[in-house]
Amino acid sequence: MKFPSPSSAEAVIAVSGLSRHFGTKTALNDVSVFVTRGSVLGLVGENGAGKTTLIKHLLGSLKAQAGSVRLFGLDPVRDPVGVLGRVGYLSERRDLPGWMRVDEFMRYTQAFYPAWDEAYAGQLLKQFQLDPAQKIKSLSQGQQAKIGLLTALAYRPELLILDEPSSGLDPVVRRDILEAIIRIVAEEGRTVLFSSHLLDEVERVADHVIMLQQGRVVLNGRTDEVRGEHISAVLAFAEPPAKTPVLAGAHAVAGYGSEWRVLFGGSHLELETAAVSIGARVVEERTPTLDEILVARAGGKS
Amino acid sequence: MLWEIWGRHKVKFFWDGAALAASCFFVFWKNHGASQAVGEMLGCATFFFFLGGYGQLLVCLCNFEVDDRTMQFSFPRRLLLKPVSTAWLVLVAMFSGGTVIVTIFVLWAELVWRHVAGFSASDLLWTSAVLLSFFWWMQALAWSLPLPKARMLLLVLMGMLHYFVWRMPQMRANAFSGWQWPILFALLGSAVPAAWIGLKRMRQGSWEGSSRISELWSSVRIASARDRQKKFRSAFAAQFWLEWLRQGWMLPGISAAMALLIVAVFGAVTWVLRKVSGNSWSGGDPETLGLTYPFILALLILPLQISVLLTPVLAKFDRVQLSSELPVYIAIRPMTNGGFVLAKLVMALATSVLTWLVVAAAFVCLILMDQDALLSKAGLVTPLGPLPLMTGCVPVLLLLIVWTWKNLVDGIGAGLNRYAWIGLASVYWRMIFLVGLFPLVETARTNVIFRETLLHWLTTILIACLAAKIAVAIAAFGWSLRRNAITARAIGWIAGGWLVCGLFVAGYAGHVCSAIHQPGLRLWVALGGFLILPLADLAIAPLALAWNRHR
Repeated sequence: MKFPSPSSAEAVIAVSGLSRHFGTKTALNDVSVFVTRGSVLGLVGENGAGKTTLIKHLLGSLKAQAGSVRLFGLDPVRDPVGVLGRVGYLSERRDLPGWMRVDEFMRYTQAFYPAWDEAYAGQLLKQFQLDPAQKIKSLSQGQQAKIGLLTALAYRPELLILDEPSSGLDPVVRRDILEAIIRIVAEEGRTVLFSSHLLDEVERVADHVIMLQQGRVVLNGRTDEVRGEHISAVLAFAEPPAKTPVLAGAHAVAGYGSEWRVLFGGSHLELETAAVSIGARVVEERTPTLDEILVARAGGKS
Repeated sequence: MLWEIWGRHKVKFFWDGAALAASCFFVFWKNHGASQAVGEMLGCATFFFFLGGYGQLLVCLCNFEVDDRTMQFSFPRRLLLKPVSTAWLVLVAMFSGGTVIVTIFVLWAELVWRHVAGFSASDLLWTSAVLLSFFWWMQALAWSLPLPKARMLLLVLMGMLHYFVWRMPQMRANAFSGWQWPILFALLGSAVPAAWIGLKRMRQGSWEGSSRISELWSSVRIASARDRQKKFRSAFAAQFWLEWLRQGWMLPGISAAMALLIVAVFGAVTWVLRKVSGNSWSGGDPETLGLTYPFILALLILPLQISVLLTPVLAKFDRVQLSSELPVYIAIRPMTNGGFVLAKLVMALATSVLTWLVVAAAFVCLILMDQDALLSKAGLVTPLGPLPLMTGCVPVLLLLIVWTWKNLVDGIGAGLNRYAWIGLASVYWRMIFLVGLFPLVETARTNVIFRETLLHWLTTILIACLAAKIAVAIAAFGWSLRRNAITARAIGWIAGGWLVCGLFVAGYAGHVCSAIHQPGLRLWVALGGFLILPLADLAIAPLALAWNRHR
C-alpha cells in the first residue's frame, strides 16, 4: 500500500521526513510522500491539517526546517527555475493581477515557459468561454479559477499541483476543472497532486490518496485500497447499551438504541470478532466513501 | 463605529503616539543642553517625526478600506449594512476624526511648535482650520470616487489648494486680503455634503459595475490591443513590462505633474508681475531673479525627494499590494531571485532617465519664460554662451539620473523582505539622514570651530565610511552566495558597475573642482561619489527576496 521508496528514479515528488513549525504550532511532523510519474495523488485532510503547508514546500515557498523536499530530483528552494518551469499550480487563493487583461496575463505567463502551447491555450480559452479583453478583476470567482487553470495547463507541465481548486466555486465550474484534470491525466499521463475538501472529486480522479491530520500522514495508499481497508457497518445489540459502545478498531461509532453505525478499520473477520466481543452482531456492511473515512478519522483524531 | 476605527488601527495609533512623543522629546532635548549642531538636527527630527506620526494618523482616521479583490479604496462596506442613516455614518466619521486631528495638532503646537517657532493664537486657529478642511476633503474623496487615479489626482490638487489657502495670510502681495476665511468656510462647508453624496451613491450601488469613464478607457484599450499581441522576447522582458506598468511610470508621472504645476505657477506669477510693473519687467531684475531660483530648486529637488519615498512602492511587485508577502502569480514563476531584482533595477534606471528628461524639458520652459534672465546671469560665470552651458549640463543630468536611481534602489533590499516595518524603518532612516544633512551643512557654514573640526576629520570619516561600506558589501555578497541568491558573475557586474560609476563621478568631480580652482575638494567629492553609489543593497536585494520567496 506504500508509494515507491525514495530511491525510485520514477519519483516526481520525493518528500522525506519533512517537519515544519510556526512558532509553537507544528504544521508538518515527519511527513514523507513519494509520487511516481503519471499518478494522481489526492491530498485530503481537515482545515489546518497541513495540506497547503506541504504544497508550499513543494513549490519552494517554504523552506524545509527538517527533512528534504525534491521535485524531479531537484530542491525547489535552491533551483526554483529548474523546478517551477515543470510545475503547473492553481491555488485556492485566486491571487491574480486584477489590473491585467486576460490576454495580457496569458502573454505574461507565456514568457516564462518555452513549452507554452499557443494552440492549446487558445482552445482552453474558447472552452472556458473567457473574454481575452476582459480585466481579471472584473471576472467572477469561477472565471478567475478558469484563467488560473488555463495558465497552469497551457505549457503542459510535468506536474500539476492543485490546492483546493474548486473551493467556493459552483458545480459547473467544478465540473469543468475536474474534466480538465481527467483529460490531462487520461490523454497525457501527467502527474497531478490534487488537494481538496470535496472528497467525491478526489475519489473520482485520484488513484492514490494521502490523508493529513494535525501535520501527520495518517493514511497513505491507493484510493481503492484505502476504501477497501475500511468497513462502514451497522451493529445490532440485543439490549440497547447504556453508553456509546467501545469497539476496538473503530474510528467512529454513532447511533442510539440497539443499532449503532461504525466505521471500522480492518477486515470483515476482524469486524465480526470485535462485534461479538462487545455483544453485538453485524447486520449491514458496505465499503465507505472517502468522505466517511475522513470524517470518521478527523472526528476520532487517530 | 469609533471602537471599530480604534480596533482596526490600534497598533498604528501606538506608533503614531510614539512618533509624536519622540517629537516632543527632541524639542525638550534641544532646549535643554543640546549643542548647536545637535540642536539643529533635533529641530529637523522633531518636524520629521511629527510629519510621519501625524500623516499616518490622518490616513487612519480617514476611515477607508481596501478591497482585497478589486484593490478599490472605499468606506468600509460592512458599515453600510448597519441600520443607520448615511448622514449618521458621514457625520460620526468626519466629526470624531476631525476632533482628534485638531486636538492633537493643537496639543503638539503648544508642546512643540511654540518652542521651535513663535506663533500667535490666530496662526494656530487658522492652521487648525485648514488642517480640518484638508482632512474632511481627504475623507470626502476617499469615499466618493470609484476611480483610483482620478481620486489621487484630486487629492494632490486638494492638498495644493489647501497649502495655497494656508499661505494666504502670509502673502506679501495681499491681493486676497479678507478672502481667506470665506474661502476656507466654503471648503469646510462643501466637504460634508460632498462626502454625504459620495457615500450615498456608493450605498445605492453606483459603484458597482463599470463607470462610463472606465468603459471608455476599456474600449480604447481593446482597440489598441491589436498592437500589443506580440509575444515577449524573454521572461525578463515580461517582468520588466509588469514592473514598468505597475511602478515605472509613477516617478516620471508625479514629476511631470509637479513640473507642469511649477511651470504653470511660475508662468502665472511672472505674468502678474509683468502686469503689475506695467510690462516693464526686464530679465535682469534682481527681484524676479530671486523668484526664479526657488522654482528651479523645487523642480530639481522634488524628483530626488519623491524617489526616496517611492522606494517601498518600487520594492513591491504591485503598488497596491497590501502585504509584503510575494504574490503567488509572481512567486511560482520559473525565474531566479536575481532575475526579478534585475528587472526592478533596470526599471528604476528607465524611470530615472524618463523623469530627468521630463524635468529637463520643464527646466528649459522655465528658462524661456524667465526671458533669458537666468542665462544672462549664468553668462557672467561662463562667457562662452548658453549653448556650451547647456551642453555642460549633460554630465550634471547624468549625475542626477544616477542619484535618482540610487535613491530608488537604495532601500530595495529592505522593501523586498516580508516584514513591512523593515521597509518603513529604512525610509525613515534615509529621510532622517537626508534631512539631517541640511542642518549639518548650515551649522558648518555658520560655526567656524565646528567647520574646522569637521574639515579636519572629514577625510578620515569618509575613508572609514567607505571601508565600512565595502566590508558590509563583502559580507552581504558572501551571505547571498551561500544562500544561492546571487551568482559570482552578478557580483562581478555589480562591483564593476560600482567602480566604473564611482570613477565617473570622481573624474567629473575632479574636473569641476579644477575648473573652479578648488583642488582640495577633489578627494572628498570622489570619496562621496563612491559612498553614494549602492553596493551592498544590490547584494541584499536578491537575498531579501529569497527570504520572502522561500520562507
